[in-house]
Amino acid sequence: MIKITNLEKFYRTEEVETIALNKLSIEIATGEFVAIMGPSGCGKSTLLNILGMLDDPDEGSYIFNEIEVAHFTERKRADLRKHNIGFVFQSFNLIDELTVFENVELPLIYTGVPASERVKRVEEVLDKMQIMHRRNHYPQQLSGGQQQRVAIARAVVNKPKLILADEPTGNLDSTNGNDVMELLTDLNEQGTTIIMVTHSEHDARYSHRIIRLLDGQAVVENIMV
Amino acid sequence: MFKNFIKIAWRNLWRHKSFTLINISGLAIGMASAALILFWIQNELSYDQFHENKSRLYVAYNRAVFDGKLWCWNTTPKILGKTLKQDYPAVEETARTTQSNFLFTIGDKHLNLPGYFTDPGFLTMFSFPLIKGNPKTALTTVNSLVITEKTAIKLFGNEDPMGKVVRIDSVDNFTVTGVMKDLPNNTRFDFEYLMPWSYLKKTGGDDTYWGNNSVQTWVLAKPNITEEALNKQVINVTKSHSDQKDDEVFMHPASKWHLYSKFENGKIVGGKIGSVRLFGIIALFILLIACINFMNLSTARSERRAREVGIRKVVGAQKGSLIAQFLGESILLAFIAGIIAIVIVQVSLPSFNQLTQKQLYIPFNSIYFWLAGLSFVLFTGLVAGSYPAFFLSSFRPVSVLKGTFKAANALVTPRKLLVVTQFTFAIVLIICTVIIHNQMRYAQNRDLGYKKNNLVYTMMSGSIDKNYKMIRSELISSGAAVSVTKTSAPMTEGWSDSWGFDWKGKDQSQKIDFNVFNADGDFVKTMGLHIVAGRDIDIATYPTDSTAMILNEAAVKIIGFKNPVGQIIKNGNNKPCTVVGVVQDFILQSPYQPVKPMIIQGPKSWFNVIHYKLNPNNSTADNLKRAEGVFKKFNSEYPYEYHFVDEEYAKKFNDEQQVGTLASLFAGLTIFISCLGLFGLAAYMAQNRQKEISVRKVLGASVSNLTGLLSKEFLTLVIISFIIASPIAWYGMYTWLKSYPYHVSIEIWVFLLAGILTVIVALGTVSFQSIKAALTNPIKSLRNE
Repeated sequence: MIKITNLEKFYRTEEVETIALNKLSIEIATGEFVAIMGPSGCGKSTLLNILGMLDDPDEGSYIFNEIEVAHFTERKRADLRKHNIGFVFQSFNLIDELTVFENVELPLIYTGVPASERVKRVEEVLDKMQIMHRRNHYPQQLSGGQQQRVAIARAVVNKPKLILADEPTGNLDSTNGNDVMELLTDLNEQGTTIIMVTHSEHDARYSHRIIRLLDGQAVVENIMV
Repeated sequence: MFKNFIKIAWRNLWRHKSFTLINISGLAIGMASAALILFWIQNELSYDQFHENKSRLYVAYNRAVFDGKLWCWNTTPKILGKTLKQDYPAVEETARTTQSNFLFTIGDKHLNLPGYFTDPGFLTMFSFPLIKGNPKTALTTVNSLVITEKTAIKLFGNEDPMGKVVRIDSVDNFTVTGVMKDLPNNTRFDFEYLMPWSYLKKTGGDDTYWGNNSVQTWVLAKPNITEEALNKQVINVTKSHSDQKDDEVFMHPASKWHLYSKFENGKIVGGKIGSVRLFGIIALFILLIACINFMNLSTARSERRAREVGIRKVVGAQKGSLIAQFLGESILLAFIAGIIAIVIVQVSLPSFNQLTQKQLYIPFNSIYFWLAGLSFVLFTGLVAGSYPAFFLSSFRPVSVLKGTFKAANALVTPRKLLVVTQFTFAIVLIICTVIIHNQMRYAQNRDLGYKKNNLVYTMMSGSIDKNYKMIRSELISSGAAVSVTKTSAPMTEGWSDSWGFDWKGKDQSQKIDFNVFNADGDFVKTMGLHIVAGRDIDIATYPTDSTAMILNEAAVKIIGFKNPVGQIIKNGNNKPCTVVGVVQDFILQSPYQPVKPMIIQGPKSWFNVIHYKLNPNNSTADNLKRAEGVFKKFNSEYPYEYHFVDEEYAKKFNDEQQVGTLASLFAGLTIFISCLGLFGLAAYMAQNRQKEISVRKVLGASVSNLTGLLSKEFLTLVIISFIIASPIAWYGMYTWLKSYPYHVSIEIWVFLLAGILTVIVALGTVSFQSIKAALTNPIKSLRNE
């Protein structure tokens, strides 16, 4: 599904140039559950952003579903992204002014799904995430675990082929954290590819494979059994 | 998707109430101000544009060279209209108008009413529809009378006026042959009734003399005749019919009557259009300033909105849909502001009308009003929302969601630019307001040359002329007045001018135009003029004074007399008159213009007005009561009417007063709206820098240090605005003042005053927020990190 080759990304300020990704090459197959680990500043999030087409690489190739996307325009990337990729963030990133239902509905609006179909699909996914009873609440009225369920519901409502999760349990206690990991595992078992950035060895054990980064390079790969 | 936008927009506005309040009130005030001005402009533009024949309507102008300059004027000989209609194929119809003032009597009801004498063509040329009567015949008989609806009610109450008889000046009976719909608020014509020209002719008021320019001549051209073709035909009409070999006639089209009526050296140089443009610019800027508030506050809040933008982009929003969302929000806001603005306009219209002397109203029944209003709201919403929309929608999701996004410094420049724009405009307006007021005060304080207090005049109606001698002596003997004189015109108006004077040694190739004023005696005493040489006209002591003359200093100067007293000047009828005195120049017409040469002719001339100086030993009310008794005694049928010269003189400042008041009003509003924005902006700035403030405070900064730090930035912006505004205001006022020969100089203190005033107001606005931020407990914001 994903093949990156010699990927490079620099961050420049006036005086310093930081290499975030240094000729990184990785392949991820459809249906895999991959965890990316490494110390702070190793390039995990940069990699995730590039994989999620929120950012573009400076050098190298990124093939997504057999299409070279490394130098796509923002418009094209946004188009590809909204149909194929769901995001889950550490800080949930729900819109405060929208209710649970409306937050989950948002991706469907942007992909042009008709209103009646939207209601059906949002209810379906809220049900699955066991958050249906909170559909008319605002994010700030929910616990952290509930907010992350909403965020996951929003990520999957469009039935993406790939879910990118950036420390999805980082702001949660262990019980809620485990629930979220179970949800991701379920999704993966139903065929969704999952790439997750995490600091937690515990969470990483839910994955099939761990890629460990250091200074923008993949140093170790652990295959889980 | 649209529903989603509206929903989130509404919730956003509701959630940040103070932001919404500042934004909506600023926008509403801005829109209301702009709307008021636009109503005024619309009214100005629509003057006499409702006539169906407007493209073919003209007023005749004369032009001739005097004192080396080409002058244009729109009073014409009475014979012109008739001649044009008879002999010139391009002309379809003409109508003359001249003003009249008669006492209307019905039973024991007496009313003094102003109206016009005119030709029957008036009713068919212009679109002043008759509710009753036939426009083609209503003015064809000598004693017919057309009255307006309002006059009909004044005269007859609710009875049908048609066919009713009115006695005019106790002399003749007139029959009402037409009732005209009241004149609209956008016409130059102002009359309560129309009387047939044939009556004027019957009573000896008509003449065929080409040298007497005393009436206005309106012309309807035949269809398909251009202005150029018409002018080509008529240019020599005076020359070919008389010995006035210098006078040319040209046509001024209806489309230019109201807005382009100022001529200089034979060319149109503007007129009311100047004010229309000026206030149009002001309207645009006030609206722009209100929009700038919106832009500034929206972008200042961007850190809050950035996350939302990031999330929306991550879940698939394209830039276009985000722009649409933010524009939608600002249009919603503009819409709410628009509704409030309508309320503000409705509430303030009566005062605005009083100020502008108009009868403006909101045309709620007109579809065009709603369409225009809607486009106005859309326009405002788009302008106000454009910058925030493009700015916010361009955020990169990665940086905003990872928290590396720092709004405060990233958008400093455009926001500063907007604040500078606002304050530049506000300062320009303040400076202009002060200078306009200065100019007015300067002209008001100018030495009149006579004493206007306690000076009253009454128009000579009915039997006043006949009984003048007795009225004069009883006014004095009753103690009402200390001095009385009769004159040709009120002291505040120049009704007559002539270049027909001749004297020994005159350069015959030169045409010199004199203001002509007539006075019978005690003129100098009654008016309180200053005699420079010779004496007042005094027929009792000097019987030969029936042909005496008084000159003003300007006349002596232009004629070039070394010893003016005793000199002979021949008047227009070639009668020799003797100069008996010279008076110091006094202001007859514009207080902004130099005094023109003037000749005051003695008792053997025509008179229209009695001036009397009230007795300083009695109260004004007492004097007027006594005077009323005298006038009632000798002119019993007419109501006693009087005018104070000082009040009439004050009216000369109406136009400038109006401009001055409007300028102050809008300057005040501009400052208010700008400060409203600044207040909000300062609040967000303080919020954004809360952490910095806390760290500084922990390290020992005092409240005044911090207040200074936060206010400094805004102060710099105001000072930059001042530097930009000063030359703009200077140039504008320099140009404006140039049109007044008698004007103030532009002084530096005005600029300093405006600058200091703005700094104080801006500082006051900002420091409230700064002090609030500086007083906050630092632990609070540091703990949040």
